[in-house]
Amino acid sequence: MQDWEREALDAIKKAQDLEALRALKARYLGKKGLLTQEMKALAALPLEERRQRGQQLNALKEALEGALEAREKELEAEALRKALESERQDVSLPGVRLFAGGLHPITLMERELVEIFRALGYQAVEGPELESEFFNFDALNIPEHHPARDMWDTFWLEGAFRLQGPVGEEVEGKLLLRTHTSPMQIRYMVAHTPPFRIVVPGRVFRFEQTDATHEAVFHQLEGLVVGEGITMAHLKGAIYELAQALYGPESRVRFQPVYFPFVEPGAQFAIWWPEGRKWLELGGAGMVHPKVFQAVDAYRKALGLPPAYEGVTGFAFGFGVERLAMLRYGIPDIRYFFSGRLKFLEQFRGVL
Amino acid sequence: MRVPFSWLKTYLPELEGPEVLEERLAGLGFETDRMEQVFRIPEGVVFARVLEAHPIPGTGLKRLVLDAGQVVEVVSGAENARAGIGVALALPGTELEGLRVGERTIQGVRSFGMALSPKELGVGEYGGGLLEFPEGELPPGTPLAEAWAEEVVLDLEVTPNRPDALGILGLALDLHALGYALQLPEVRLEGEEVPIPFGLRVADPGAAPHFTLAYAFGLRVGPSPLWLQRALFAAGMRPINNVVDVTNFVMLERAQPMHAFDLRFLGEGILVRRAQPGERLRTLDGVERTLHPEDLVIAGYQGEKSFPLGLAGVMGGAESEVRPDTPAIALEVACFDPVAIRKTARRHGLRTEASHRFERGVDPLGQLPAQHRALGLLQALAGARVAKEILEAGSPEPPAPIPFRPEYANRLLGTAYPEEEQLALLRRLGCRVEGEGPYRVTPPSRRLDLRLEEDLVEEVARLKGYETIPLALPAFFPAPDNRGVEAPYQRERRLREVLAGLGFQEVYTYSFLDPEDAPRFRLPPFPLRLKNPLSPDRAALRTHLFPGLLKVLRENLALDRPERALLFEVGRVFGVAEGRVEEKTHLAGLLFGQGVGLPWGEGLSGYPLLKGLLEAFAERLGLELRVEAHPYPFLHPGVSGRVLVAGEAKGFLGQLHPELAKALELPPVWLFELSLPLPEAPFRFHDPSRYPLALRDLAVVVPEATPYGEVERALREAAGPLLEGLSPFDLYQGPPLPPGEKSLAFHLRFRHPERTLTDEEVEGVMQEVVAAVRARGWRIRG
Repeated sequence: MQDWEREALDAIKKAQDLEALRALKARYLGKKGLLTQEMKALAALPLEERRQRGQQLNALKEALEGALEAREKELEAEALRKALESERQDVSLPGVRLFAGGLHPITLMERELVEIFRALGYQAVEGPELESEFFNFDALNIPEHHPARDMWDTFWLEGAFRLQGPVGEEVEGKLLLRTHTSPMQIRYMVAHTPPFRIVVPGRVFRFEQTDATHEAVFHQLEGLVVGEGITMAHLKGAIYELAQALYGPESRVRFQPVYFPFVEPGAQFAIWWPEGRKWLELGGAGMVHPKVFQAVDAYRKALGLPPAYEGVTGFAFGFGVERLAMLRYGIPDIRYFFSGRLKFLEQFRGVL
Repeated sequence: MRVPFSWLKTYLPELEGPEVLEERLAGLGFETDRMEQVFRIPEGVVFARVLEAHPIPGTGLKRLVLDAGQVVEVVSGAENARAGIGVALALPGTELEGLRVGERTIQGVRSFGMALSPKELGVGEYGGGLLEFPEGELPPGTPLAEAWAEEVVLDLEVTPNRPDALGILGLALDLHALGYALQLPEVRLEGEEVPIPFGLRVADPGAAPHFTLAYAFGLRVGPSPLWLQRALFAAGMRPINNVVDVTNFVMLERAQPMHAFDLRFLGEGILVRRAQPGERLRTLDGVERTLHPEDLVIAGYQGEKSFPLGLAGVMGGAESEVRPDTPAIALEVACFDPVAIRKTARRHGLRTEASHRFERGVDPLGQLPAQHRALGLLQALAGARVAKEILEAGSPEPPAPIPFRPEYANRLLGTAYPEEEQLALLRRLGCRVEGEGPYRVTPPSRRLDLRLEEDLVEEVARLKGYETIPLALPAFFPAPDNRGVEAPYQRERRLREVLAGLGFQEVYTYSFLDPEDAPRFRLPPFPLRLKNPLSPDRAALRTHLFPGLLKVLRENLALDRPERALLFEVGRVFGVAEGRVEEKTHLAGLLFGQGVGLPWGEGLSGYPLLKGLLEAFAERLGLELRVEAHPYPFLHPGVSGRVLVAGEAKGFLGQLHPELAKALELPPVWLFELSLPLPEAPFRFHDPSRYPLALRDLAVVVPEATPYGEVERALREAAGPLLEGLSPFDLYQGPPLPPGEKSLAFHLRFRHPERTLTDEEVEGVMQEVVAAVRARGWRIRG
C-alpha cells in the first residue's frame, strides 16, 4: 500500500463536513482522482502484474467508497442534529391568544331545562316582554281591582300605544312589562289549536327592590299542555320528570294547594333536592282555569277564528330559572346574573 | 295572618300541636311563613290593683298606691295610671328584657317596682301607657305568668281567594273538614224590646249590599279581661277598651270587620252614601283627609244635613270613636262591594285589617251572626244592654248551587276517588249536596271562592291531599298547526352558541336605561318610559343593547382591569312606530383591548378583528355579510359602517366615537349591533367541480378613498360565473405609487363546473376584468 492510500482513508475518516468529503471523493475517485489515474495506468502493466494490481486497486476502491459513505452518513446525521437543535422551541410557551367565549349561566340553565322538556315532546316558544294588561292579567282571570293583582308587583308604562297581538293584529290597552311568562299561554292558544305541549322560557319583571334573593328582572320557564283528557296526574308526571332529570332517581315531587287565578285546581310544587337534602319550593301550577279557555275562545271569535278550546283540559306550570342556576352552580347572590362581571361569567365557560 | 294556636284550639279541641297543625294547613293550601313563640311573662310580675293615684306636683309623674297582695307604692309616668284598674306590676328583682327592676327613690317617693306597659312586659308593641285590666280580674299578688300562658303564633299566608280564612273560625271550619271535631263558640244574647233612637238609610245599595246596625246602651267602657287582651296581642292587635276590643275580636274570629259609633255623634241616624266633593274627615289615625266623590262614607244625618263619620270598610272617624265615657253605640256590621273598598283604601294609602278583608269579600250571610256574637260579648264584658231589633238594609245574597259530577273530578284529576267519598268531603266542608247526575252542590256562604265545578274539584283534591293524585305522562300527536313552532327559538339559541364558539362571552344587561343615556350615547330619546321605575336612572326601556355593553365594560375596568374583552348580548329592545310599540330582538357585540396574537406581540385587534369575527359568524349562518361606510353619531366618523346581511341593512359596526369614549372614560372600543332575526339562507348543495383550477393574480391601483368593497364588487361582476373565488392578498400604499393611491392585489380562481378551462378562455375573462378596471379610471399594476 502506498502512502497516499493510507492518507486517503485517514482523511476520509477525519473530514469535517460534507464539502470536505466531496473534495476527498474527487481527489481519489474523481475522473482525475489518484485511484482513477492508477486504474488507467493498469493498462500499461504486464498481464500478471496488471491482474494483481487490479485486484489491489479494486479492493482499495471499495475501501474508499465504504469509508466515504460511512463518513457521509455520520456527517449528515450530525448536520440534521444541528439543524433540529437550532429549531428547538420552548413548547411550554403560550400559544396565540384567541378568545374562549362562553354562554351566560342563565342561558345554560334555560337550555338544560328546555332540553328536559323537549325530550318529553314539548316545543319551546317565546313571547314579548312588553305586554298589555289584557294578556298579562285580564285574560288570565286576574281582573282589575281584584286583590289577586297584588300578587304581581308590576312595572307600568307611560303613555298610550298599540301593541301587536297573537296573530299580528293590533291591541289597545295599558302596557306593562310582563310579570310572568303566563301571558304567552293566551297568545299561544289564540294562535294555535290543541293538542300541544309547549314551554316558554323568558325574561320577566317585578316591581321590587333587589337583594341577594330578589331581582326585579329574572327568568321563568312556563309550561302548557292542552288536549282532550289532560289531567292533574299528567301535571304531576311532568314535574316528576323535571325533578328526575335535574336531580336523579332520588328526587321526589310535592304538590300543595295554592291559589293562582288562572288555574283550578291550583298547586305549588316543590322538588326534593337530594344533594342539599331539602325541598325546593319551585313554582306554581295547576289545571287551566275554564275562564282562561273561555277568554281565549272569545278572543279567537273576535278575530273570526273558530272556538278551539271547548271540551279540552290542560295544565300549566311556571317556575324561576335563577334559583335552579344558583343551586346548580353554587351562586350565592341573584344579583350576580345581571352584574356583567366577567370574573363571574367566565367561570361558566367549562359548562358545555 | 297571625293565628294564635290556643285560640284556634278553642274551636278544635283535638288539635295535636303547632307542628302538626303547620303540616295540615300546608296540605290545605295555607303556608306558614313563620312560627313564633310569644308571651314569656317574667317571674316577679304580679297582678296589682291601683288603689290610689296621686300626681307628684311639677313632674307629670304619679305616686300609685297598689294592692299587690301587700300594699306597695310605685311611681309611674303613664297617663292612664289611675285608681280602679288592674296593672302588671314588676316587683324589685324582676328581670325584664334588658332591665332589672329595682327599688328606687324617684322624686322623693320610694318606688317598689314598676307598673308595666305592654312593651315592657313583652306582650305587644305599645309602650305609650300601662297595660290595664279590670281591677277584679285576678286576686292581687297573683303571678301574672299563671294567668297569661305562653303562646305559639303561626303567621299564615292566606291567598286572596280565601277571605274566609282571614278569620280563625274560618280556618277551623277548613280543618274540621279534615276530620277534627268542631266546637263552635256559644253565643248568648239577651235582647230588649226598646225603641232604637236612630235611623238607617243606605243611599248606595250597590256599594253596600247588606248593612246592619245594632243599638247597645248602658255601656261601662273599660279595660278588657285578660283572656281577650291576650288574644288580641297574640293576633298582633293592640287592645283599646272592651267595646273596641270586642269588635276586633269578632273580626279576627269571623273575618267580618265591624265598627262601633259613639251614639252622641250620630245625629238622627246613619246614612251610607258616597262622599261629596271636597268633604273632609279626620280618621282614627289622626289624619285629616279630603274625600273623593267615589269614597263610600258612613255619615250621620240631621234633617237634610249629613256629615261623614267614617270611611266605609276602611277606617272610622276620630270624632265618633268609643271613649271611656261613651254611654251607647250604634254597631255597624256590613257587607261592602270589594272594588269600592279597594279603591278607597288605595286612594288614601290606608290598608287596614278591615279593608284587607272587605277587599277580598266577606260572608254575605255573616252580618247578623257577627252582630249577635259581638253584642253577646258586649253584654258579658261591658255590661251593655242591647236592643232586640237590628236595623237592616238590603238583603244578603245566598250562594247559588253548582252542578257537580264526581266523575268529572276524576277526569280532571286523573284519579279514581269514589263518588260517595267525594260527596262526603264536600258535605264536611259545609256544602249542601242535592239531586244527582249532576249533583247540585251549594257551598257554605263564607266560601266566596267556590263558584264553578272546577272549584269543587279542587276542594275534593285538597281534602284528599294532592299526594293521592298519581303520576302520568300524556301521549298524543300535536295538532298540525303546532309543528315547527320552535324554529325561531332554536335558531336564536344556535346563534348564541356560534358566537360563544367564536370567542364572544355572553352577558345579560337590564332592559332599563337612564333616560339621560339617550343624549349620553347620542341616541334619539327613548320613546318608552316606566310609570313607576325603581329609580330615575332605570326609567326608560332600551332601544339599543350597546349602551348596556359599554356600562358592563366600564364596571369591569373599574373593578378588575381586564386587558381585553369580547362580549355579546342577545336581548329585547323597545321602540315605537306610528303609535305602536315595536319589540325587537337585537344582537350586540363589543371588542376592547389586546386582540388575537402572541402574548408579547402587538397582535391583531380593533376593527379588522371584530369585522373578521362578524364575517366568520355570518359564514357559520350561511349568510353573505357586507359593511359599507355610513355615519352613526356614536361611532368614530372614520370607522363607522352599516352592516348588510344578505343585502339587508341589519345594523352597524365600527369604533365608539373617541369623544364618547372619553366622556365615558373608556379606552378605544369597537362595537356592532344587529337586528334579529337575520335573513335565513336557504341551504343549497353545490357539487364541487373536479376540473382543474386556473389561478391568476391581479393588482389594481385605485384612489386611496375608493372602498375595497367597490373594487371587489367590480372584479366579481366583470369576471362572471367562471370566477370560483377571489381573495385579497396585498394592500399597499407608498413609493413607487404616487401619493393618494393604493394598490390592491387579488388571487383569482377560475373553474368550469363541467370541463377544463382553456388558457384562451381564462385570458378572455381576465381581459374583461382589466377592461372593467380601466373603465372605472383605475390602473392595473405591474
